[in-house]
Amino acid sequence: MATNLLVRRRMVALFFLFSTCLLLLTGRLGWLQLVCGHRLEAQALEERLRDVVIPAKRGKIYDRQLRELAVSVSAPSVVAFPPEVRLSGKEKEIAAKLAAILQMPEEEVYGRITKNALYYYVRRKVEFAQAEEIAKLRLPGIEIIEENQRYYPNGPLAANVLGFAGIDNQGLEGIEHYYDGELHGQDGALRVEADAVGREIPQAAHTYTPPRDGYSLVLSLDSTIQYLAERELDALMQSPTAPAKAAIIVMDPRNGEILAMASRPSFDPNRYGAYPQSSWRNPNVSDTYEPGSTFKVITAAAALEEGLVREEERFYDPGFIKVGAQNIKCWRFPRGHGSQTFVEGVKNSCNPVFVSLGLRLEEKKPGRFYDYIYAFGFGAKTGIDTGGEAVGQLIPREKLKDIYVGSIAIGQSIAVTPIQLVTAVGAVANGGLLVRPHLLLEVRDQKGGLVRRYDPGPPRQVIAAGTAARLGLLLEQVVKDGTGRNAYLPGYRVAGKTGTAQKPGPGGYQPDKHVASFVGYAPVNDPRVVALVIVDEPKGYPYFGGTVAAPIFRSLVEAVLRYLGVPPAEKVPEPGEPQPVTVPQVLALPVGEAAAVVRAAGLEPQIAGGGVQVREQTPRAGASLPQGSRVLLEAPAAGSTLVPDLTGLSHSQALNRLSALGLVLEAEGSGEVVEQHPVPFTEVARGQVVRAIFKEVPAQPTLAP
Amino acid sequence: MWWRKQWRNLDLPFLLAAAAILAMSLLVLSSASANVAEDSLFYVKRQLLWIGCGTVLALGVVTVDYRRLGKLAPWLYAATLLMLLAVLAVGSEARGAQRWIGLGPFLFQPSEFAKILVVITLSDFLARRQGQLKRLRDLVPVFVYVGLPMLLIMRQPDLGTSLVLAATSLGMLFMAGANVRLLLWLSGGTVAAACGALLAHFHLGLPLPLEDYQIMRLVVFLDPYADGQGGRGAGYHIIQSLVAIGAGGPFGQGYRRGSQVQLNFLPEHHTDFIFSVVGEEFGFVGAAFLLGLYFLLLYRALLIAAETDNPFGRLIIAGIISMFAFHLLVNVGMTMGIMPITGIPLPLFSYGGSSMLMNMLALGLIVNINLRHRRLLF
Repeated sequence: MATNLLVRRRMVALFFLFSTCLLLLTGRLGWLQLVCGHRLEAQALEERLRDVVIPAKRGKIYDRQLRELAVSVSAPSVVAFPPEVRLSGKEKEIAAKLAAILQMPEEEVYGRITKNALYYYVRRKVEFAQAEEIAKLRLPGIEIIEENQRYYPNGPLAANVLGFAGIDNQGLEGIEHYYDGELHGQDGALRVEADAVGREIPQAAHTYTPPRDGYSLVLSLDSTIQYLAERELDALMQSPTAPAKAAIIVMDPRNGEILAMASRPSFDPNRYGAYPQSSWRNPNVSDTYEPGSTFKVITAAAALEEGLVREEERFYDPGFIKVGAQNIKCWRFPRGHGSQTFVEGVKNSCNPVFVSLGLRLEEKKPGRFYDYIYAFGFGAKTGIDTGGEAVGQLIPREKLKDIYVGSIAIGQSIAVTPIQLVTAVGAVANGGLLVRPHLLLEVRDQKGGLVRRYDPGPPRQVIAAGTAARLGLLLEQVVKDGTGRNAYLPGYRVAGKTGTAQKPGPGGYQPDKHVASFVGYAPVNDPRVVALVIVDEPKGYPYFGGTVAAPIFRSLVEAVLRYLGVPPAEKVPEPGEPQPVTVPQVLALPVGEAAAVVRAAGLEPQIAGGGVQVREQTPRAGASLPQGSRVLLEAPAAGSTLVPDLTGLSHSQALNRLSALGLVLEAEGSGEVVEQHPVPFTEVARGQVVRAIFKEVPAQPTLAP
Repeated sequence: MWWRKQWRNLDLPFLLAAAAILAMSLLVLSSASANVAEDSLFYVKRQLLWIGCGTVLALGVVTVDYRRLGKLAPWLYAATLLMLLAVLAVGSEARGAQRWIGLGPFLFQPSEFAKILVVITLSDFLARRQGQLKRLRDLVPVFVYVGLPMLLIMRQPDLGTSLVLAATSLGMLFMAGANVRLLLWLSGGTVAAACGALLAHFHLGLPLPLEDYQIMRLVVFLDPYADGQGGRGAGYHIIQSLVAIGAGGPFGQGYRRGSQVQLNFLPEHHTDFIFSVVGEEFGFVGAAFLLGLYFLLLYRALLIAAETDNPFGRLIIAGIISMFAFHLLVNVGMTMGIMPITGIPLPLFSYGGSSMLMNMLALGLIVNINLRHRRLLF
């Protein structure tokens, strides 16, 4: 039967057809379960696991007296669990109630509480009263959770240094950002299994990693000094001078600890969003400016160290100085300072004098001036422990022409950061030792235990201690009787230098825009603070550093010294509390140098006789005297000369000392003097050759390249 | 009694396969629906009720000689059309489709019954035309005959069920001896045209008589993460089902321990997506065993068809086999991402009254034919 055969064939075909279907399904099943099984199983687990982050508490920031500068307080946040909200069916009602309490648009609240998510913030970090009110309503699917919030108890105090932390306790600016690793800690996590609606599954796998709270920082800042500095700035900003910007740094020159660092404009880190972003930065480390005459400190230090100038050397200033084909004017132009000694040149801040020094340095060895500039830390970051530090701008060495050398010598054609200048002048105050400026003293754990101490690294000898002492005396003259008179503090010995720089703009210096500044330290014999005051674009006249910045320096430093308990020099020591000073050895030194050393020791030199050399000193070296006592230096005009002690001097210093006495140096080797013939204090005739043997003494590098 | 002698004809493996599938269905349902209703056994009880009703219905069908049904065919056909018209007129709506008619406390789904009724009436229709299905114009009356109920079902809209009707008719036409080449051309052409229309829709904006959600299902079939919500929208269902089945691995997570199902990650897990539950809780071994049971069921049905020499009965069985196979392919395929999502249940397994009754009816018909296959009875 044909039809029967056909039917049989078709039945077989139908069998194969559905068998194929089932085989296909089984094959797919095997692929999914036997081959992809693990991947899909992992995905299934992932669907169920929810990480609940338990945020670590951010560490505190203290000042050096352990007064709180930044703390973390817990703040309530309103969270919605949209699946539960939807389940209640009262979305509209809930949105209306929340919107009323939180003062938010109702549609926005509605959108947030019905978001397609497991949980969603309605509003983070709300007021306690609002949170309490919401908690009382017991709205379904709405919870109040506690989150940490940063609080700065002093408001804007030190804001530009501290910076701030964002809503998730992440450091965003300043110290908060730089030390975020220490402050942030380690967030903990609670892994819970949740079902499709996000409910926790009871008795399911939980893994709990507890948070490690952040470490606390102890800064070198002193709230009181910081407050004093900010008070000065606030007064300045409200005065008729009302500059565009202003900044103050106070540092301890002995160790580089920043005691205060303030700037305007500033902001309140508790409400940082309400201030323009430009006010968040720390201009003391991030901004550069042309330092002007304050930079002459560096020029003088280099020239003195190299023995290229003496205190009593005479200069003539006709009101300008010719450098190649161009003239560099004195600030007093068209008048000049006329004939003056170097000391007077410094006091007058006479441009041609310093231009000459720059040129002498360059003449001695091309690039020598730059060696000192770099050695003082310019052209490189100081390494201060906060973010955004600028390097400054120096004309490249290979493009250095005399005219640039001349203008850099008076602090123009070079851009530096305030922190660089403070660090450099700090080195002068610190006997020629340059230390790294820093803000951190210690890192402590939650219980107050010490985690680590800040290590500023070894200091660097930039100029010899004697050179630093001589320069200090020169700078003291500036304050006593020069352009820095307004910084004079009765009872304290203050060294300082004014600066009035023109501001560069497009196409040259701008005629009416200035930066008035003053940098200095005190007390000269035992410096405790070095401070810089910068007034950027003061309004009106006068706009000089000596008139605008020096008075601020004086009132600030006076308050700081009194706060630090530094007694005024003229104050009679309390009975039973004498502060004796050891008389230094100045025998056989040139009179000028001897007087400087005695002054640097805190004693008053009294010179007798018209000779060039100290032949006798009373009292003798090593004697103890009250501060400010007189030391008699006898310098009779004599036919013979005593050979001075050259031990420890550099080539240029030895040459300097001998030539001042009319002796001739015969040098052997390089480094510093370790041996000399004839031995010190031998009586010889003028013109006598003194042989000095120099050796490199690695322990005391005098000049880092 | 006449039918005591028939007992010897009864195909025991067929019945055992069916019983095993039903038993497994109850077992899986008790796990899958535990978290759906308040009473964790609510759906199991209901399903048991449907199986009981279905058995009574099937037994009733068995007692009546199926050959008499052939004579009732025109009436049954008319009743089918009336029922489908009624659902459009007075049916209740759920999820955008009008598929149900309320009957006392129960909702009754005429399109489910239309399937089996079309199988019966079309078998009669084709049996009369055997050997006369060689040319295209011979097929036109068949298309009209099937087309009418199909169109009515599509109007509900229920694309899935109308596709079931199309596939069932195709299987029956094949068994009725229709020109194979012609059938291939026609079905191949239809599929090609549908694909072409979809391509034109996506690339040229050709308007289609389909709802947006239906088109979206096709999109997520190709890539479940392309639902515009990264797998949280229309693609969610497929992704969750794949994860569930894959997580089952070779031996499964264990009875009532499938996390995707028990934690509600997978929606519709007691109805259309019940196969995912089998896959997750019983693994490859269990799911392949279930597919094996279906194979046994269809294979024994085919043997029953082979033993009968009544073309009407044979066509009924061919129709039922085609229908079951299509259901299996589409439903199980959809849970594993190789078929687009349609609301087609897993026969004898998914929870659902109308579908269960219809399936039991179909089994009853096959047993009916099984018992009466010998001519020597006459």
